Amino acid sequence: MRSFLPLLFFNYLIAFASAASDYYERLLLRPLPRSALLASFNFRSNESSASFDQQHFRYFPRSLGQILQHAGTKELHLRFSLGRWDAESWGQQPWDGAREGGTGVELWAWLEALSEEEAFARWLTLTNALSGLFCASLNFIDATKTIRPVMSFQPEGDHHNSSSLHLLHGTLPHEVVCTENLTPFLKLLPCKGKAGISSLLDGHKLFDASWQTMAIDVRPICGQDGTHCVLEMEQTVDMVLDIDRSKRPRDNPIPRPLPIEEIACDTSKHYNAEDTCYPLDKSAEPPWNLTDIFGRSLKGACPLTDEDGEGAKTVCINTPPERIIQANTTGQYVETRLASDTVRCYKLPTGADFDIDLPEQQMTTGLVLASPPLFAARSINGHGQERGSIQAVIRNPSFTDSVEFVYLESLPWFMKPYLHTLQARVDTSPSNPIKETYYRPAVDRHRGTHLELCMAIPPASTLTLTYDFEKAILRYTEYPPDANRGFDVAPAVIRLLSPGSSGKQGVYVRTTSLLLPLPTPDFSMPYNVIILTSTVMALGFGNIFNLLVRRFVGADEVQTMGAGGLQGVLRGRITRLRAKFTTG
Amino acid sequence: MAFDQQKVLLFGVAAAVRLLLFTAFPSLPNLLTGRVEISTPVTSFKRLQEGVFLYTHNVSPYDGGVFHQAPLLLPLFSLLPNPAFHPFATNLLYTVVDLLGANALMQIAESWQSAAPRLFKSSRKDLRWSSIAIGAGFLFNPFTITTCIARPTSALTNLFILISMAKASQGAGATFVLALSFASYLAMHPILLFPPLLLLCYDARATKTKSTPPLLTFAVVHVLALAAALGGLLYLSALLMGSWEFLAATYGVRLLLPDLTPNVGLWWYFFTEMFDSFREFFLGVFWLHVVSYVPGLTIRLRKQPLFVATTLTGIFAVFTPYPSIADGTLYLSLVPLFRHLFPLMRYTFLASSTILYASFIGPAFYYLWIYAGSGNANFFYAITLVWSLGLSVIVGDSLYAALRDELDVERPELRGKEVKRI
Repeated sequence: MRSFLPLLFFNYLIAFASAASDYYERLLLRPLPRSALLASFNFRSNESSASFDQQHFRYFPRSLGQILQHAGTKELHLRFSLGRWDAESWGQQPWDGAREGGTGVELWAWLEALSEEEAFARWLTLTNALSGLFCASLNFIDATKTIRPVMSFQPEGDHHNSSSLHLLHGTLPHEVVCTENLTPFLKLLPCKGKAGISSLLDGHKLFDASWQTMAIDVRPICGQDGTHCVLEMEQTVDMVLDIDRSKRPRDNPIPRPLPIEEIACDTSKHYNAEDTCYPLDKSAEPPWNLTDIFGRSLKGACPLTDEDGEGAKTVCINTPPERIIQANTTGQYVETRLASDTVRCYKLPTGADFDIDLPEQQMTTGLVLASPPLFAARSINGHGQERGSIQAVIRNPSFTDSVEFVYLESLPWFMKPYLHTLQARVDTSPSNPIKETYYRPAVDRHRGTHLELCMAIPPASTLTLTYDFEKAILRYTEYPPDANRGFDVAPAVIRLLSPGSSGKQGVYVRTTSLLLPLPTPDFSMPYNVIILTSTVMALGFGNIFNLLVRRFVGADEVQTMGAGGLQGVLRGRITRLRAKFTTG
Repeated sequence: MAFDQQKVLLFGVAAAVRLLLFTAFPSLPNLLTGRVEISTPVTSFKRLQEGVFLYTHNVSPYDGGVFHQAPLLLPLFSLLPNPAFHPFATNLLYTVVDLLGANALMQIAESWQSAAPRLFKSSRKDLRWSSIAIGAGFLFNPFTITTCIARPTSALTNLFILISMAKASQGAGATFVLALSFASYLAMHPILLFPPLLLLCYDARATKTKSTPPLLTFAVVHVLALAAALGGLLYLSALLMGSWEFLAATYGVRLLLPDLTPNVGLWWYFFTEMFDSFREFFLGVFWLHVVSYVPGLTIRLRKQPLFVATTLTGIFAVFTPYPSIADGTLYLSLVPLFRHLFPLMRYTFLASSTILYASFIGPAFYYLWIYAGSGNANFFYAITLVWSLGLSVIVGDSLYAALRDELDVERPELRGKEVKRI
């Protein structure tokens, strides 16, 4: 029987280290159930506002800084994400979800502008510039994908003239995040992936993870009296690696079954035999080291980090105290134990490779995973390509606290929700959980739907939110090349109001993105359609106007082709002509 | 009076059928509301409910892509109890709308403007159906019943068109103008019925008073009245909504076709497949095409204005941007007024079998495309072509019959003989 120690997930460690130095980085490793491993990379660089304004950049990347200055951006949040955080088995998200993004790309920023139009123009400048910087399709965030959230986001930084600030939010759920986005991300770091924890970041492993999110957050932070402002840029990479999968060698990545002699079989199964085996769950923690699972070795400390103090402890691992951890390096390192020995931190040697090695070990104690404040899942109900309904199921696992939150949906314009069908039900109480609604309907081809709901769930209850929607049929040029795959719908963003977070970051939960199949026309036959429709119209028009402009005479009163054929007609014409000349 | 008894019986049975269908099959209204053949983006009851919901929650329903119907419907339907919980009031309203429409249709039939207008007496004018039969043909037409159950706002448009025709054929100028302005306000294209109905009203007035007032003065007065009535309605709407943005969301949508939801008409697939650079050009051409029938028919058939109006409703059912079977049913209910033309029609079997074919195969092909996935958009498109072709065959054939009928009066010696068009 395993006993569980309370896990103190230590965001606080990072919180108090802020503003102490101009550059700070930390990697936190946390083994999760079923041989998963959460790796949270955090990099922070500060620049004083004065030197930023004078375009004097030291740790802050010049490329990004100039974009922010040009677009009048005061605070920026950019996310690149892949996969799904499995809250049922992994517990609460790192950073309370505040550094998480919806699948694809998510961007929100506070821009300084005098009017909404100016803010939007600057937003377009920003997205286009970031698109170039991060090799992402951010330039496709146009008016139809941009919303102005009302309740869901609060600025993290200190803004003194907040009256002229405009918040804009855009998502690209279809964007596939990949190596070309990681390379510019690493280049923004002072050590550029050559030294320090960033030397572990390898595209092959990062984008092979079960879940990963890369975040960039830029915000101004001021002292108590409102002076000594610094501009802080935080870069975060969170990933959940499958240890078994990550350890596969790159030249032989296909998993192959082990020989049956090496598998521990469940002999209680009736079909267990020489050649049939039901594998037993491995109760032992799997062995791993940094080089195996990241595919690279850690190249020692980044020389810009602090020599001592909190900032020097760059690699931390959160395991039960009994777990054996062996540090392998030729240089000098320092191990510190924190939080009743559940966290071990290492000060890295400079200029020498560093690795930690965890052997296979049968554990007697485990760590309790913190439960997330809410479980959220969203799906599309109904069948057919004409209409459907959205169902969001949000569960409050706490037995004592009720949870109040804001639910934000940003839907594409071709998905037309019917707000009068919106229903929210809580299974334990008959009262309406919706406290407040903000709704901005979509306009075809101009803007998307923006829905924000402020809701509350009583303890240990489940809230079910449903609404109907209709799918529009698009012009054939508006479909992407893989039209029958469907369109991606951005994840819903849930921000907790109470219980909230102590800091300014907020607590967030996101659902997965949805795939929306739309009715498709036949792409191969625009000419045929034009011809056939025109034929029917011509038949109607021709028939009617033929009747209108001609007059009736008796059939025997006119000369026809019938009597003499072509010859007869010609003869008739000639006679008529001759008659004209002779009379005239 | 036996006649009135018949009428009461007819209306009673028709109302009973509708209310029975509403109550016996509570899911039927919503099912039919979702059918693209009945509900178009500009008439759908579900979209109307959404508009009313937004209106009662102080969100402008026109600042969105869902609601494209006239603003005055909003206060009307917000007065009714929510149809999701108390559908009876709405059901009753739509039943009454149908009965009033049938009543107006019977008034048209009784006025006898179809076969014997002022300037023209058909040689077959005694061949006619009673107004009861025509009313029953409207009330028990399955298309009318499904339209009533699905509750699109085109039922209201149809009612106002029928009332304006009835009042015009009675020579009641003021009510005719008022009803037509309501119809045009709701659906825009009925304004094209104004020229033939104005002539009809003029003829009816002249027959009644036995004197002919100057046509020009009559026309000017009524045009001004129509402009005033429409202006009043639009101004009232603007007062109600607080801005003029509803114009773009209602009439702008009908003109420019931004919503390409499938319907039984010809426009949606054509503009789905249209090349972007030609979109505006063809929108212009298509609208010009619809409008072009008005002067042509009105001038050529000056002596039979009611027939022109009827034919125009048929043309609207085929060639307007968002037609539904509600438009088709209006035309098909008006055609029996011209019973005397039936012997002269040549393609009755072809047209009726085409219409029946399209009505049965259409829903099946739509299912194959949208739900089963075993067909593609061309299946439903082909059926809309057949439907449009069937209706335009009836339009063209009845027009031929009307002209042939005129010829029989002009040149009685050609009666029954083969004729040619030159």
